[in-house]
Amino acid sequence: MRSSLRLLNLEAPTLQGSKTLYVCSVCRQETRPRPALARQFLRNSSTTPITERVRRKIWGTDSPPGLEDPYGGQSVLEKKFKKDQPEQRPQRTQEPDDGWRNIDEASAGVETAPSGEYEPATTWEGLARVGHLGRWTDFPASEVDEYTSFKSKKRLTKPNHHALAAHQAAVEICLMQSLNKPLASVCDVVEHQEPIFDLLWKCRIKPADGQWNGALVYPDEKAEQVLAYVFEQIGSQAQTESAAEDAAEADEAEPETVDPEAPRSLFFNKAHVRDKGYLRLSLADPATKFAFLKRFSQLTGHYFPDPVINSISSVREAIQYVGGELSLKSLKLDAKPQKLGPQLTASKTLQDLPNVKVFEKRQKRVDRDEELGRKKVIEAALRERGLIQ
Amino acid sequence: MKRLQLQRWSSSVLSPRARTGGRLQQHLYYNLRRQSTVTPAAQAENEQLIDQQSSLLTTQTPGSPYSLPSPPVEAARESAKLAALHARLYLPTRLPLETLARCLVDSSADPNAKFNNESLSILGHDLLSHYTSEHLICTYPRLPLTVIFAAMYAYVGPKTLAAMTREWGVELAAVPGGEVDPGLLQFKRVVPGTDVNEEPAVATERPNEHRTSWRKSMTSRVVYDNEFGDPTEVKNIKGVPAEHASARFIRAVMGAIYLHAGRPAAKRFFEQHFLSRHLNISELFNFSQPARDLARLCARENFEPPVAKIISETGRKSRHPVFVVGIFSGQDKLGEGAGASLLEARSRAAVAALKGWYLYSPLNVRVPSAMEEEGAAPWKPVHVDLGEVIV
Repeated sequence: MRSSLRLLNLEAPTLQGSKTLYVCSVCRQETRPRPALARQFLRNSSTTPITERVRRKIWGTDSPPGLEDPYGGQSVLEKKFKKDQPEQRPQRTQEPDDGWRNIDEASAGVETAPSGEYEPATTWEGLARVGHLGRWTDFPASEVDEYTSFKSKKRLTKPNHHALAAHQAAVEICLMQSLNKPLASVCDVVEHQEPIFDLLWKCRIKPADGQWNGALVYPDEKAEQVLAYVFEQIGSQAQTESAAEDAAEADEAEPETVDPEAPRSLFFNKAHVRDKGYLRLSLADPATKFAFLKRFSQLTGHYFPDPVINSISSVREAIQYVGGELSLKSLKLDAKPQKLGPQLTASKTLQDLPNVKVFEKRQKRVDRDEELGRKKVIEAALRERGLIQ
Repeated sequence: MKRLQLQRWSSSVLSPRARTGGRLQQHLYYNLRRQSTVTPAAQAENEQLIDQQSSLLTTQTPGSPYSLPSPPVEAARESAKLAALHARLYLPTRLPLETLARCLVDSSADPNAKFNNESLSILGHDLLSHYTSEHLICTYPRLPLTVIFAAMYAYVGPKTLAAMTREWGVELAAVPGGEVDPGLLQFKRVVPGTDVNEEPAVATERPNEHRTSWRKSMTSRVVYDNEFGDPTEVKNIKGVPAEHASARFIRAVMGAIYLHAGRPAAKRFFEQHFLSRHLNISELFNFSQPARDLARLCARENFEPPVAKIISETGRKSRHPVFVVGIFSGQDKLGEGAGASLLEARSRAAVAALKGWYLYSPLNVRVPSAMEEEGAAPWKPVHVDLGEVIV
């Protein structure tokens, strides 16, 4: 009997032992041995059993993992017919074609182990840990748990530092603009190495009418090439990696994030900016303004509130705000919105209208009573009853 | 007719507090007394009210608005209601808000004649009666006197004026006082529980008034009674009904317009607010025996005696017959009426003939007051009828 038929007729083995059991004619017919030729004809000359084909279909491969016959060993009938047709069974062990096969064999060895060998675990020792039991605070921090601030932890207070930061940010954004790269990606590199910073520091900015395009003046040709090369790597990670290798070969300075723990000197001990042209740059373009203020905020550690960002229109104003010269009051941002009542009271249009009367305070029932003249009557009645003094 | 001296009137109305001499007011009061619209009892009560008011004035602090019986003059400029009313009525700009505020103060609220609307309302009352009566008589010269009285009441009666006050959007103050908004009509209300329908004290100069069984002729009402043909009533109740106060307010507005803006403006105001109200005068008639009245009328006018003739009929033997009857005087058909019976049709035809006679209206009506304008055309006497038929 084929192994697949045992799914349908599990009592077939017992049939041999006891003749008293009734077996229907179909089952009897089914259990009857048939010639090999007829079987081949029946199943499109396929020798693989139906369970095997279903398994192959489920797994989507011609060599599915797991036992070929997961329902125990061979039956009595099968053993009997196996003697007649030893070549019918395909020898799967002879065709280990891929990795799955080995795994299957190994797992098949485990799975075919009798259930009596199962030993439940009494401790966690050796078991894979999945999830936690609520005490996640006791676990050590992983890499993703660490938080690094976008801004520098220290807020710069000195005006020359503000100027250096603004100059650096302006030069960087000019560079990105000339390279046609996303402006805000200059923030990917928190701090440049000293040679790069020197080159940036030597650059001058001469804007025409506050325009950023073409405002950058390089100190020399070599600096322009180096800076273009360095900033070409910023903004795209893949490029940065490949370029970093090239840079390493060329022994060029490359942008790298400075270890925040290491003691650092602010702007490499540069005291002042070399020119003040960057102050005239305009921040009218929202994209440029965002990129500049983001970089400037990152370098100086100062926070720009949204209303301030909205009201700032030039680099000079940004520096003034950071330096405290441009207060919220001067930007008229601290003024609370005027209430409707005083606004209407002060309205000249309404004052000129004779048939409109604006009350400074809310009109209540008492006011209505007084207007109609019955307030004095009510008060007199209350006083008469001793309810008011 | 002696003309009113407008300048003197205006100045007295415009700056009531500036003028200390109350000669004009006294004159007004004198007229009031002589017209005997106020009984001696009421007069005494009025004086008593003034005394009470003065005692109240002395007890309260002088600076507080509560000490005043009516809003101060300065408050008129502050009131939005008053300005809105002024604009709503499209009053002439020469009529100041202060006068309009004074029109809203009834004499029961402020007994001081310099601050209440009594003088203005008397003037306005006379003007309204004058304009309405001349309009009615000149437009319908043959109206019976009863219909004239009814039409007068419908045009300028207190109920109409009270309705106009409501239509103008004037609100009533609960209790008068100095703190009240000047845009509210202020008067002393009738105390709740007072019997308004009690026997009124009738003030007439009619002789033999005590003989209640004597018939009061309609013509005598022209002489002895008011312009509506009713005896002048003075009720001995404290306070004023809202209807009367509203009527006085409207009359005072009319008088104020006359004083401040002049006669043309007053006439325009009268036409726009009073004559524009629709009144179907033909519904005011009430004939008891129209056929007889018509016969007498024809006899008086030397017409041939009226003869009723069937013009057409249908369904005489049915349940709903209709007869169309015409009344003829000689060859002229005076009227025509339809009815379910011959008698009904005849009386309807007589009523139609009488209404056609009484409701005659000449073309190009001119009223006598039109002659007051500068450069008016020479007066052409209007048609004056003999009057109604007296049976």
